[in-house]
Amino acid sequence: MKLYCLSGHPTLPCNVLKFKSTTIMLDCGLDTTSVLNFLPLPLVHSPRLSKLPGWISKDGTVNLEKELKECAGRVFVDSQPEFCLPERELLDLSTIDVILISNYHCMMALPYITEHTGFTGTVYATEPTLQIGRLLMEELVNFMERVPKAQSATCWKNKEIQRMLPGPLKDAVDVWTWKRCYSMQEVNSALSKVQLVGYSQKVELFGAVQVSPLSSGYSLGSSNWIIQSHHEKVSYVSGSSLLTTHPQPMDQSSLKNSDVLILTGLTQMPTANPDGMLGEFCSNLAMTIRAGGNVLVPCYSSGVIYDLLECLYQFIDNANLGTTPFYFISPVANSSLEFSQIFAEWLCHNKQTKVYLPEPPFPHAELIQTNKLKHYPSIHGDFSSEFRQPCVVFTGHPSLRFGDVVHFMELWGKSGLNTVIFTEPDFSYLDALAPYQPLAMKCVYCPIDTRLNFHQVSKFLKEVQPLHVVCPEQYTQPPLTQSHRSDLMLELQPPPMPYRRCAVLNLPFRRCYERVYILPELANSLVPSEVKPGITVATVSAVLHSKDNKHTLQSVPKPPPAAPSKKRKRVIEEPPATLAPKPLLSGAVPLEAFLATLQKHGITEVKVEETGEGHILHLQAEDTLIQLEEDGTHIVCDNNEPLRTTLRDLVLRFLQKL
Amino acid sequence: MDSECVSILPRVCEVLAASGSSLPDDTSLEKLLDWLTTITQTGVSLLEACPCLLDFLSNVALNAAPGPGILSFTLKLAGLIGASEDGFKALEECSVLELVFAPHHWQESGLWEDPSLRIGWIQGLKAILQHSKALSFFVQADLLEPLLQLQTDSSLFVASAANQTLAHVLLLCQSLSSVGRDGTNKRDVEHNGVGVETNQNCSGVVSKVSEYLNESLVPRETSRLPRSQQILKLLTQLLVQVRPPLRETLLLTVLDSLEELATKSCSQLTLPLVDVLLAANSSLGDTDRIPKQRIGQLLSLVLDTKKPADVVQAAAALMRSHQTDPDHSAHAARVLLLPLDIVTGVSLVDKDSTDEELRILMTEQLQSKTCVSMICMCLTNMPQITVMAPDRLPCPQSLVVRAVLSLLRLCRGDCSSSSAGCVGVFRYVTGSSKVQKCAMEALSALSKSPEVKIGLAEVFKLLTEYLNCPLSEPSVLQKSYKVLINWIDVCTDLSCISDQLREDLTQAVRKRACDTRWEARDSTVEFLGHLAEVRSCRKSGGEEREPSNALLGGRAFAVPLLKEALQDPESYVRASSIAALAQTLTPSWQQGAPVTQEQVEIVTRLQEILSQDSEGFARRAVVKYFIAWFSSCSSPTSCPLLVQHVPAVLSQGAADLDWEVKLHTLQLAELLLDQAFPDPAPPHPYAVTPEGLIHGEDEESALLGSLNGVVDRGVVSALFCGLVDCDRPVALKACQLLLRLRAAVCPPTASAADTGVSCKLPGRSWAQEIRKIQGTNTDSEGGSAVGSEARGEAVEESSVGVREALRSLDLDGKLSILTQSSDHVYNSPLSLLQDILTASTPHSHLTSEPGQEVIVDCY
Repeated sequence: MKLYCLSGHPTLPCNVLKFKSTTIMLDCGLDTTSVLNFLPLPLVHSPRLSKLPGWISKDGTVNLEKELKECAGRVFVDSQPEFCLPERELLDLSTIDVILISNYHCMMALPYITEHTGFTGTVYATEPTLQIGRLLMEELVNFMERVPKAQSATCWKNKEIQRMLPGPLKDAVDVWTWKRCYSMQEVNSALSKVQLVGYSQKVELFGAVQVSPLSSGYSLGSSNWIIQSHHEKVSYVSGSSLLTTHPQPMDQSSLKNSDVLILTGLTQMPTANPDGMLGEFCSNLAMTIRAGGNVLVPCYSSGVIYDLLECLYQFIDNANLGTTPFYFISPVANSSLEFSQIFAEWLCHNKQTKVYLPEPPFPHAELIQTNKLKHYPSIHGDFSSEFRQPCVVFTGHPSLRFGDVVHFMELWGKSGLNTVIFTEPDFSYLDALAPYQPLAMKCVYCPIDTRLNFHQVSKFLKEVQPLHVVCPEQYTQPPLTQSHRSDLMLELQPPPMPYRRCAVLNLPFRRCYERVYILPELANSLVPSEVKPGITVATVSAVLHSKDNKHTLQSVPKPPPAAPSKKRKRVIEEPPATLAPKPLLSGAVPLEAFLATLQKHGITEVKVEETGEGHILHLQAEDTLIQLEEDGTHIVCDNNEPLRTTLRDLVLRFLQKL
Repeated sequence: MDSECVSILPRVCEVLAASGSSLPDDTSLEKLLDWLTTITQTGVSLLEACPCLLDFLSNVALNAAPGPGILSFTLKLAGLIGASEDGFKALEECSVLELVFAPHHWQESGLWEDPSLRIGWIQGLKAILQHSKALSFFVQADLLEPLLQLQTDSSLFVASAANQTLAHVLLLCQSLSSVGRDGTNKRDVEHNGVGVETNQNCSGVVSKVSEYLNESLVPRETSRLPRSQQILKLLTQLLVQVRPPLRETLLLTVLDSLEELATKSCSQLTLPLVDVLLAANSSLGDTDRIPKQRIGQLLSLVLDTKKPADVVQAAAALMRSHQTDPDHSAHAARVLLLPLDIVTGVSLVDKDSTDEELRILMTEQLQSKTCVSMICMCLTNMPQITVMAPDRLPCPQSLVVRAVLSLLRLCRGDCSSSSAGCVGVFRYVTGSSKVQKCAMEALSALSKSPEVKIGLAEVFKLLTEYLNCPLSEPSVLQKSYKVLINWIDVCTDLSCISDQLREDLTQAVRKRACDTRWEARDSTVEFLGHLAEVRSCRKSGGEEREPSNALLGGRAFAVPLLKEALQDPESYVRASSIAALAQTLTPSWQQGAPVTQEQVEIVTRLQEILSQDSEGFARRAVVKYFIAWFSSCSSPTSCPLLVQHVPAVLSQGAADLDWEVKLHTLQLAELLLDQAFPDPAPPHPYAVTPEGLIHGEDEESALLGSLNGVVDRGVVSALFCGLVDCDRPVALKACQLLLRLRAAVCPPTASAADTGVSCKLPGRSWAQEIRKIQGTNTDSEGGSAVGSEARGEAVEESSVGVREALRSLDLDGKLSILTQSSDHVYNSPLSLLQDILTASTPHSHLTSEPGQEVIVDCY
């Protein structure tokens, strides 16, 4: 069993498991942090951005004025942003049989894997994962295509040149593999390969293994997967949460007794408690509004935003914010808000019961009804006529490189009254803000990551007791910046197996058993005999038939009547097909009883010698040795065949025959 | 004593003696005993007053039929009677005494098993042991043995009572033998024979007790540990109470055992042992036969234990005892600072001065979960460490502050100053609000230390970080604010606070005022109030700016935040913000600064709260706000805003549903009265004052003017309203104030028919009540209701002459009723005795009429 690790990002994993002749890809996350190296894509022409100076190396030898721009001491690529894809050289992607998706954040690289690679397999995901994943992809494509950039910068990627670049650009890895965003057509094609599954539904893969998604409690439709054969069980845990937020709670018990547990998607903010962050978010928001400023919340259009809105719903009246407008701007804002309300079966129990009242499960419905929350596809159109300040705006993309957020950053960045509150943990907020410097706007970092923290995960692992744990190497040591915090790492016995990008791991367990079916008529012909109480044994002669990873024993077909042979001699050489096999023996020879029997047969002079494995009986008069060992009996008797036969028969008396 | 009670008592005794009958409630016997005790305390002989008690005693003692509750009562009663020598003699004569106090008498009947009986026996015995006769009885009846057995009784209450009684016995011995020796007591000198016998008894008892203590002190097996603990406690108690000769005797006997215990170092016994040693140490004088050093050595022995948890406990106990033995407190301080030293890496304790082995053991211990409790124990003793003489501390106090700061940083997960010790402890300390709170308390205590030279800036920075941190719990935030106030309070120079720090603090406070948790908002609002008050302490500083101005921009910053908080959905926060506003505005009131538009808005909002808020806290705070305003205002009458709003506050406050609001309203009324009649004290009764002076024309018109003013502001209506209030404290206060008013405006000599100021009585219920009282009083006096309207038409608003009303309302009568507690009728002994009697009656009829009791119960 092997694991190929195509992504080094612990929360955006992409691994391939080879297990019992199947090749299963676990998630295909897209590492979007690469876009931080690019200039923002403004929706409206930005004089500030367009006036940024180009970059020329200090000695003037390298001139990339067109491709690279300098802003507040950092260099950015002036081109359509590009993403860092999962590794595609480690194995042939066309050999992948299935892709299992655990949540909508972990499928953003799907078109890169399924299109133009010869992929012919199936993708399995839950319905909310597919639908919300589609929204996120649509949004991403929309953000990119809305602001087309004619130019595509490539010179800076030249290895020689890249070495001379400053700052983070110099250290960016595999820049040649970075790709521009996919098109809507590719998204549709990729998503057409998705087959929907429900929690605990069992899907057979080629008869060899069975896969089944389990609720992971992190987001709508998010799942962990069990991959099992008759005798082996692999669990894939990705992005799970034990907090009571909107999704169905995590199913832990089904993950028990795994041989291998692949653990990814722990919280990216182990020191930030989500509750504290939510409180921080609310108080900073209220503080800014009271002082007459605007609040900008860069966020994804699905996920944490539902919880934020719910929290604000309760907080608005408390903090006298009743009249402040809340805007949610995204090409998919409407669908996202509506979709969340219809996936009742994927919600936590509390929200499910509301549906029967009937009430919308999420309170943002009421916010929309009372006109406190308004949503728009973009800043163009209706929004511009309704826009009223001070206000709170939720919009994407959290990287601040594209989407409507770019506009608000340019608009509000100059005033110290306004605040930008980061809630998504995926991007470093300082890096995200870099191309907007100098910035007067206040910045607050309240990353809300509800995924398991180290304390929770160690409790969880104690509960489910996997034999082996495989995890990204980042989890096996404390974070670089806090090297003393031994509480921020996984400490397990046996220690977890770490992986990194491009690693190929031999998973540390061997398959010992395989299930074989036996046909009824063959079973009928068996003659079982009991060797020990409760254990019955029979010999089988059969033909093993293997197809679709199913093994069946069939009766041996009767040999066709031997064709009259021309050469008689050869027929004789062939052993007769019907010759009964010699019976198999089992049991042990009890020494005392055996000696007594020997004596009865007139063999009296026996010297018994004890060895490590058993006994050696020296029949002195006959000059014969009998070696009685646990797994064999030898009679050493030169030139006295009758004696040997007698002795053999005496030994056989004590053994059972099958 | 009430004759009625005396007449009932025999029947009560009968009932008690005869019945196994249950009593109305199980406290009635206690109450009965209390009543009888108070009677004896007045000097009345119980047996003379109630001879029936003796019969009751003998009756019950001989016939052990009643329940253990009554038997216990009987034993205690016997003790009460036998406490006086005459009573003792009477008991002896009717041979009740031996019977009642003989344990085997109760053991035979199997009643001894009941702990309430044993308690009764012990307490009875303790009560009786007041004189030498009782002591001889105690010795002759050989009651010491059972008393010693009870010291380690399975029931904690019994054991503790037995402890106290044993101590009492020893104290009695001490006082009796000293009397004998000094020969000061006349009677004992006269009956010299008794003196000799008493002395023998005493020394016998003392030697037996000491022997017992010595034997049972050291536990021979672990199951005897509780017993040793009990004995150690007893010993502490004794050592604190007894005087020299006896104390020495006791100590000499147990000293070796104590030493054995100290060397043995048994965790459970460490604390009680330290207590004993401390008690011995503090009681010993220099002239004693036992050298103090011996005890000191034992203390050092305990402090040198190699079990970190024990040694920390012992050191903490020593610190708390406030004993001034400098060597020991220095040693204890070293022990208590050691964990901090190890955890934070700040070298507080010189490596040479501490036992290397203890350091290693403690480092090991700090890696485990118990580290939290150990660190907290060290931190909670910080106040004691701060008051220690500098030369006794192992390090300057500024280092201690640094260590505490460093620990607080560790708690936040910041480990920039990591040491070898902190790696393991990190896991438990990070985010532990318990440690955070203790460390904050310690830091607070350290602010008082005179020689802390560390810059305020560092403390300030850390506290601001805590206030800013989203993970800080509300209780930690509250403590952070408190520490901040304490440090600002003692700081002489705020210039060390950089602008950045100031800005950070401002942001943090502003943010916390918007927190989602009301506790955090509440603490923030309170902090703003306290900060405004710090000023008054620093007034002497001269030209320095007030801290609230220097740090947060003063009123301009605080008032808008507080005004916002007046709208808070949580009533506690609203109340706190009102209080904080008062604190913030007090300085401007004191200076008589002109009223701003902001204040007008605040007052309007406060009026709204007083009339509409559904929670009492906020409304109470509003009235207190006006009290603060009125009392701090240099001249209340010249503040039109205040004058304008006071009548409304008085009328609304007096009509409130919450009694505290009403009481505060009356306090405000009192202030107005004080102001109107500046010298409310009545004239000296024997002073000869010329009549003209009192009732001079000017005087009278001034008085009338003041009265008019008081009436106009609604003070009198508020007082009348309060007088008929159903809440006793309110009515009492109103009554007292009305009496004061009467003393001020109704001179005893004045005629009833003087022209007067009248007060309007609205058509409300309280006004009707006033009219009713007034009407009945005037009726009973046979006078006519002068100045007041005919009673029949009182439904509409009418007015009443204030002076007449004050005279006719029988305020003195009302006061005497109100000063009695509202349950005085039900708590009277007569009522108690009747209860006991009635409780026994239904039982006699129970079988015949089962339904009757139920009917009685329903009503």
